[in-house]
Amino acid sequence: MLSKSAARAFFVGGTALCSLAFIGLTVDTIGRIPAQTHEENLTPAVIRGKNLWDESNCMGCHTLLGEGAYYAPELTRVYERRGPEFIAAMLRDPAAMYPGARRMEQYDFTDEEIADLVAFLAWVNEMDLNGFPAPPTLASAAAPSASSTSPVASGAGRPRVFEQMCVACHAIDGRGGSVGPALDGVADRVEPDFFERWLRDPAAVRPGTAMPRLPLSDAQLAELVAFLSQQHTEGAE
Amino acid sequence: MKYESQRVAWYFFATCMLLFSLQIVYGFIMGFAHAGHDVLHEWIPFHTARATHTNLLVMWLLAGFMGAAYFIVPEEADRELYWPKLAYVQWAALVIVGVTAVIGFHFGWWEGRKFLEIPRPLDYLVVVDVLAFVINIGMTIWKGRRVTTTSSVLFFGLLMAAVLYLPGMIPTDNQTMDSYWRWWVVHLWVEGVWELIMGGILSYLLIKLTGMDREIVEKWLYVIVGLTFLSGILGTGHHYYFIGTPRYWLMIGGIFSALEPLAFLGMAMYAITIARRGGRQHPNRTALAWTVGCGVISFVGAGFLGFAHTIPQVNLYTHGTLVTAMHGHMAFWGAYAMLVLAIIAYATPALTGRRLHDRPAATFAFWTSNIGMIAMTLALAVAGVTQVVLERRVGMEFLDVQREIEMHFWGLIMAAALFTLGIGAYIWNFVQHGWPKGELEGGEGQPRQEIAKQPASDDAAAVPAE
Repeated sequence: MLSKSAARAFFVGGTALCSLAFIGLTVDTIGRIPAQTHEENLTPAVIRGKNLWDESNCMGCHTLLGEGAYYAPELTRVYERRGPEFIAAMLRDPAAMYPGARRMEQYDFTDEEIADLVAFLAWVNEMDLNGFPAPPTLASAAAPSASSTSPVASGAGRPRVFEQMCVACHAIDGRGGSVGPALDGVADRVEPDFFERWLRDPAAVRPGTAMPRLPLSDAQLAELVAFLSQQHTEGAE
Repeated sequence: MKYESQRVAWYFFATCMLLFSLQIVYGFIMGFAHAGHDVLHEWIPFHTARATHTNLLVMWLLAGFMGAAYFIVPEEADRELYWPKLAYVQWAALVIVGVTAVIGFHFGWWEGRKFLEIPRPLDYLVVVDVLAFVINIGMTIWKGRRVTTTSSVLFFGLLMAAVLYLPGMIPTDNQTMDSYWRWWVVHLWVEGVWELIMGGILSYLLIKLTGMDREIVEKWLYVIVGLTFLSGILGTGHHYYFIGTPRYWLMIGGIFSALEPLAFLGMAMYAITIARRGGRQHPNRTALAWTVGCGVISFVGAGFLGFAHTIPQVNLYTHGTLVTAMHGHMAFWGAYAMLVLAIIAYATPALTGRRLHDRPAATFAFWTSNIGMIAMTLALAVAGVTQVVLERRVGMEFLDVQREIEMHFWGLIMAAALFTLGIGAYIWNFVQHGWPKGELEGGEGQPRQEIAKQPASDDAAAVPAE
């Protein structure tokens, strides 16, 4: 039968061994993190952004690298997903971007602070995270619309700005947000010149609309208008 | 209760009751926000409620550990605390720092690092306060008449908990390094040295409540804390899968995390076996229920649910979802909340001299709070798994998924109401016991604080296991 001194030896020996291994691995990890996280790109703006991230307790609602709270979206790849313009517009006035949805605090950041936070999120976006976040493997199974099988409808033919901003609230081919109406066949429902007027200033077209005025460049605007004007339902074409 | 200076434990326990109540209030604020009713947004936005909820938990558990140490160590060492007055000063300082931190959270005075939100200047005060505590306990053991394994394990756990608070203060500009050190604190606390504290307190309670031979209880204590460190230290790797750290952590973290349930299984079997084999029928059955319950629920919550969530292939999808909250609630409840409630249930009758531990409220508290917590865990599990499938697997938008799972938060709120009822009964029982005015029982060589019918002290009354 096990004696008390043998039990003690097991405890002391096991603990010492594991602690040493852990410290050794930590030393190795600290040596590798700079390359894996592209530490060379840690500019003063990124560092200011990280400090703002901490001071504002963004982790109290969001997750970053999968760490934080589960009340607001994962932001590890948000730079790629939404793009800098969307993030900046969101930080400027969160309530306008997601009207009637779960509320984010209104922070009143300066333009420079917003640029710092965007720089920080851009830096995080580049990290090698061993495959996290994983792509949604069941995504194609869940979009039953017939057109989604064609290569164009899977996103290849859509403007990047559409994929980053519009789908946050609008769905197309069964994918995207549900804050605003779905955009399938939207060109059948409106006048041809509607899209440009609407995107430039939604409130001027329909006072009181929940649609925010997005920070679009003229090139992005033209791209979106061209794309949206082609959205006819298949029967109408 | 045998020594005058043990009384200080009551003040820590009363603090636990107060902070725990507040923690539940903030939990409800978050539950309603998740269910779509963020009505306090203007005054207590979600991140304030979240920081307050988790930090209150850490604070009341630490207060509970300190109270437990002040209660246990004099008896184990057979002497008064080395500096009885320092214990009261240390208690007051802890309360002041805690209250300041919680109020500060409501005005944006924080660090924004999960679980370690307390701002830096207060961090230093925490360190000083904990040092005062550890030195007082250490001196008491050092100058005591005997050094038991139980008190040494407890002391080593408390000392390491204090030391491991320091890595969280290492400054860094890299988010990955920030997380890396943060887990040195959080993980090595809850899946490392806090389990030493847990083992020490459980072993004390089991010796006192069952009369089992000290040698046997303490031998297995070594085995269990050995298993804890064998799996827990390298098990930290399960926090290093996806944060910008090398790929080898997937394997190391995966293997050692899979061993972690063994330590908790050991803890559960330890409590159950000793409770069944021990010969003494201590009248405080409520304390025994909490003690055994702690072993069992910690195995389910921390061991089993933790294991299911830390398999790398699973964690790739569940990392950063409500599945973590599901595991977190039952793990903290089983391992640490129930542990503190067990020692309070045991110590309060002795401290106050009023033996109300067999009141219906005490039994009601145990069952209602546990059923409530299990139901809360189930509600979070359904919400979490649904979130994983819809958001991570199917690729739906975050906010759309959140609307889909809102109704599970109504389930959570109902379960939490049941839980609150149970905790309310527990606190009512604590309050009914009154002030710590219990008389010191027995002198040297006399029966200790056990009930008068007991023949002698714990060791003399020991019942051999075999």
